[in-house]
Amino acid sequence: MNAPDPNAFSLDVNDPEDAELIEYFLGELPEKVSAIASALTGEDIKELGRIAHQLKGAAPGFGFPAIGSAADQLEGSIRELDGTVASMKSVQEEVESLLSLCQSYITPKS
Amino acid sequence: MPDVNLTQLDATPVVLLIDDSQFVHRLLDARLRSESISLIGEHDGEAGLERAIEENPALILLDLDMPVMDGFETLRALKDEPRTRDIPIIVLSGMNSSQDKVTAFDLGAVDFVTKPFELTELRARVRSSLKMSTLLQMLSQKAQIDGLSGLFNRACFDERLNGEYDRAVRHGHAMSIAMIDLDHFKSINDTYGHPAGDAVIAGVAQIILHESRSSDIACRYGGEEFVLIMPETNPEQAYNLCQRIRERCETTIWARHPNRAVTLSAGVVGANEGSPINCTPSAWVEMADRNLYDAKQAGRNVVKASHIDGSPIQVTQAKAG
Repeated sequence: MNAPDPNAFSLDVNDPEDAELIEYFLGELPEKVSAIASALTGEDIKELGRIAHQLKGAAPGFGFPAIGSAADQLEGSIRELDGTVASMKSVQEEVESLLSLCQSYITPKS
Repeated sequence: MPDVNLTQLDATPVVLLIDDSQFVHRLLDARLRSESISLIGEHDGEAGLERAIEENPALILLDLDMPVMDGFETLRALKDEPRTRDIPIIVLSGMNSSQDKVTAFDLGAVDFVTKPFELTELRARVRSSLKMSTLLQMLSQKAQIDGLSGLFNRACFDERLNGEYDRAVRHGHAMSIAMIDLDHFKSINDTYGHPAGDAVIAGVAQIILHESRSSDIACRYGGEEFVLIMPETNPEQAYNLCQRIRERCETTIWARHPNRAVTLSAGVVGANEGSPINCTPSAWVEMADRNLYDAKQAGRNVVKASHIDGSPIQVTQAKAG
């Protein structure tokens, strides 16, 4: 799969309503990122699945379809967890790619 | 008109969103802003059910994938609760599974929208569900109303009678029923024609509505016969009310036959607060009908009333003249 273009906004930043949604989503993103990270550390698969499911449903509507499909991939991997090392590894990879994708949208605070 | 809530049809419809994700609340809040709706929200099924009972929204958008009480459970609860049963529900889900769709429709959802939302589609579905619910509401109101008199019709009477009867029995409330019949109505039709007869039916209906309280249920029972259910009204009060109706009718001057007055007779049977109700609803109506018969026998333009146990009421039942 090709790496999604991190700047592929499907909303128009010049439209005030769109801009409001984008801003809101970006504002919530750091919190989601840390929730994902701590769910991964705590091996809380259920919580991880819940966040992935929410992001999958919501991110495209806010103009972040790439996050939506990464979350979709993660949800799929979680569903296919079968106790094998390979399936665990795949979840871990999906989490990491979701996290780095999210990070790419978060502007570092100066 | 009887207690039909037409204003509800004109007001901005309230749409209730039940979804655990704040993202979805925020998204729909922005995206449905241009629709003429007022969006309210809850984050779990239990709170959603309570809010639905409180606000009686015109439409519910219900997320399927919620923790604790999931969407199907919430849907079932909304359909089990009489106060929310008829509210249309659009199910929202991130799972695009046909089994989920079938289950949602089986449980009474009117529509199903998959997340992520295609916004123009969501708006169109919200609009069409709201339109459908408005039309259904109008239709059900229309089906309960008699065209000529504007009172509730016979079919509606049977339903309302059972409801009020149950309430009176359960809470020990007073309740009275009056059967009202126009005197010599056939001769009005025969002498002045059917349009004149129709005008009398409509006019007497207006008198009944005007004299009764908003909690009373006035129905056209048959041709020239009316029935009035009076919740929380003892037979003495019901007798007085019927006397007012009788007097108003007797003194009304009719445009089509100013020199011909119209009179009516009424039979009332009522239960006092706390008095035992040992008959069926239909037996109650029959007793009122027997009092009506006695009123006719007594010379018409008379109200005859008694207690549900057959004893006479405390008011002097002199024939007005």
